[in-house]
Amino acid sequence: MKEEFKIAWRNLWRNRRRTIITSASIFFAVFFAVVMRSYQLGSYDHMITNFIESFTGYLQVQNIKYQDNPLIDNSFDFNDSIASEISEIDKVVSVTPHLESFTLASSGSQTKGVAVIAIDPVKEKNFSNPENKLVRYRITDEAVDHMKNAGIIPDNILDKVKKNLDRSYSSSAKLELELGLTDYNKELYMTEIIKCSEVSNGYLANDDEGILVSDRLASYLNVAIGDSVILMGQGYHGVSATGMFPVRGIIKIPSPDIDNKLIIMTIPAAQKFFDAEGKVTSLVVNLTDKSYRLLKTVQAEINSLMPDKNTIAKTWYELNPILYQQIQGDSQSGAAMLGLLYFIIFFGIFGTVLMMVSERKREFGVLVAIGMQKKKLKRIVTIEMLLLGSIGLVCGLLASVPLILYFYYYPIVLKGELANMMEDWGWDAVMPSAWFGPYFYWQAVIVALMVVLATLYPLRKIERLKEIEAIKG
Amino acid sequence: MIFLIITGLSFLSQPGFTQQMSATDIVRKADEKFNGEKSSYSVMSMKVIRPEWQRTIEFKSWTLGKEYALTLITAPPKEAAQTFLKRGSEMWSWNPTISRLIKLPPSMMSQGWMGSDYTNDDILRESSVVTDYVHEIVGEEKIDDRVCYKIKMTAKEEASIVWGRQIRWIDKKDFLVLKAELYDEDGYLVRTETGSDIKIMDGRTITSRIELVPSEEPENKTLIEIREIKFNIPLEDSFFSQQNMKRVR
Repeated sequence: MKEEFKIAWRNLWRNRRRTIITSASIFFAVFFAVVMRSYQLGSYDHMITNFIESFTGYLQVQNIKYQDNPLIDNSFDFNDSIASEISEIDKVVSVTPHLESFTLASSGSQTKGVAVIAIDPVKEKNFSNPENKLVRYRITDEAVDHMKNAGIIPDNILDKVKKNLDRSYSSSAKLELELGLTDYNKELYMTEIIKCSEVSNGYLANDDEGILVSDRLASYLNVAIGDSVILMGQGYHGVSATGMFPVRGIIKIPSPDIDNKLIIMTIPAAQKFFDAEGKVTSLVVNLTDKSYRLLKTVQAEINSLMPDKNTIAKTWYELNPILYQQIQGDSQSGAAMLGLLYFIIFFGIFGTVLMMVSERKREFGVLVAIGMQKKKLKRIVTIEMLLLGSIGLVCGLLASVPLILYFYYYPIVLKGELANMMEDWGWDAVMPSAWFGPYFYWQAVIVALMVVLATLYPLRKIERLKEIEAIKG
Repeated sequence: MIFLIITGLSFLSQPGFTQQMSATDIVRKADEKFNGEKSSYSVMSMKVIRPEWQRTIEFKSWTLGKEYALTLITAPPKEAAQTFLKRGSEMWSWNPTISRLIKLPPSMMSQGWMGSDYTNDDILRESSVVTDYVHEIVGEEKIDDRVCYKIKMTAKEEASIVWGRQIRWIDKKDFLVLKAELYDEDGYLVRTETGSDIKIMDGRTITSRIELVPSEEPENKTLIEIREIKFNIPLEDSFFSQQNMKRVR
């Protein structure tokens, strides 16, 4: 065996170019398959994290009827002891109570139907964190005038700023990103731009009677911080709910659909407003990870904790079946793309093997003619192929590692129209790669199988080899 | 306001009329009694009944002819002091918690009044039961030991009514509407109203209890009870003003 290995190794380096071409085809096969899959999985994962963790949560405790009929009548009694019992369950990261309903919001002569989400201002920081979404910077005409008058910022930079007129930002990083300045310009002018576009904003206190209004809704109602908004609607069990609420802050929600109609208030204020003392419509539970098994165990544990059998925990895919199906559909089409890639790759590998066999037909003929056992020859060729395969595989995997690592830590940030479009859908416009997981090894296994499959061809050729014909060529 | 509907049902009594009355006469007689009255003041309670809960709203109501009505909510405390004003075909609401006078937009017309099974539209569109329908006596039936005319009322084509037809059971003796079935234009039963608990109030025999059951959700119910009613009290047009909405107690 050792001898055969030696011969195989020497054979490989006898014709370097051929070896390099064959292993390169395997290398690229592995490399592209791994990187592509990593991207696909990473983007889904990011989307899920993005969407689930700050929107539906992994699990939600609801009244059994609430999902089909999201009315405040289908709420349930809530107290802090339930929340603390749930948060003591293993691997539960956060438990966030919500009271949600729809009302009319009115200011001046403008009226609009809005979604009211009542939160616990402190606990909510672990979930959707509205404090992070407060509008901090706003490019208004006034701000641009300020920048112009200060005279520090050159015209070309000012033009870039003007392109983002009427846009608002929750962080200076986002503003920086959208302006797309060079590092040099950033250092020179960013402080001034930030200074001129900065706006004051406020968050809710624990028992606040005030509200946060989403950016687009605020501009529709024409309200600013300190103004009041009138809310009118129906409360618990048909009570008419009316109230006047001072605006404490303006928040920017990436999705315009939600940004057009969101009002956030504290749970005590909402319970008073809707006449729903002690009620909430949902408890949002976030977990350490989203594995199916963990979801199911925690779901069962919560259900056994709830005193009322009409109040149950639902998983995010039960709450948002459309998103779940969409992710699955995407994953399927990704797998189909990958299948296509494998197909091409296989024929790449097979092609080089075919070439090798026809090149070495004479060589094989001579070897068999001078007494080499066909069995031994087959072993040598198999070892050669496996060596080639593992060189390509290992190199491919190694080459993909830095790329995956890099894009995991520094994901591709989309810009321009595409980015806006993604934000419109409620996604962060970044595309990270997935951390190494089963997919990584599976690509290696699949490509290795393809190499084995391709090896069958030379083995068959040797089996049927006729020395005379082979030597004569 | 609500009173307008109720009077449609709780006809004012007047003992025996001549035997041969046409269907239109019967309906007109009842209706004229109502329209002929100058004004009214009433105290009522409305119980909204749902499978899992129920709540009671109490209110006072003033009416003048068919054009004017003013309603003041008196209970529960959270909703007390809200007022509703009807002038002709327009309706306003005043809400003291937000100090706002709101003219109810057309989009709110199909919504339930105070969460009940009565819609705002029911309250406003008190179409004429006499002139907007063609009437026909289709039989006699006994309801709670009272012999009633069963009258089929088909909406005239040019009339702007949400109902396609109605069937009313009008008591022969006191001309009380004991039951009414309201059908939509496609002939489906939309709701059933029944009058009961006949009492003498302010010298008239009326049904003091009216129950509304929407036929699509038979477990839902709205129950109105008349606690107190006075007829022909002195009231002026000027009583039904936006200023008075904020003052009336």
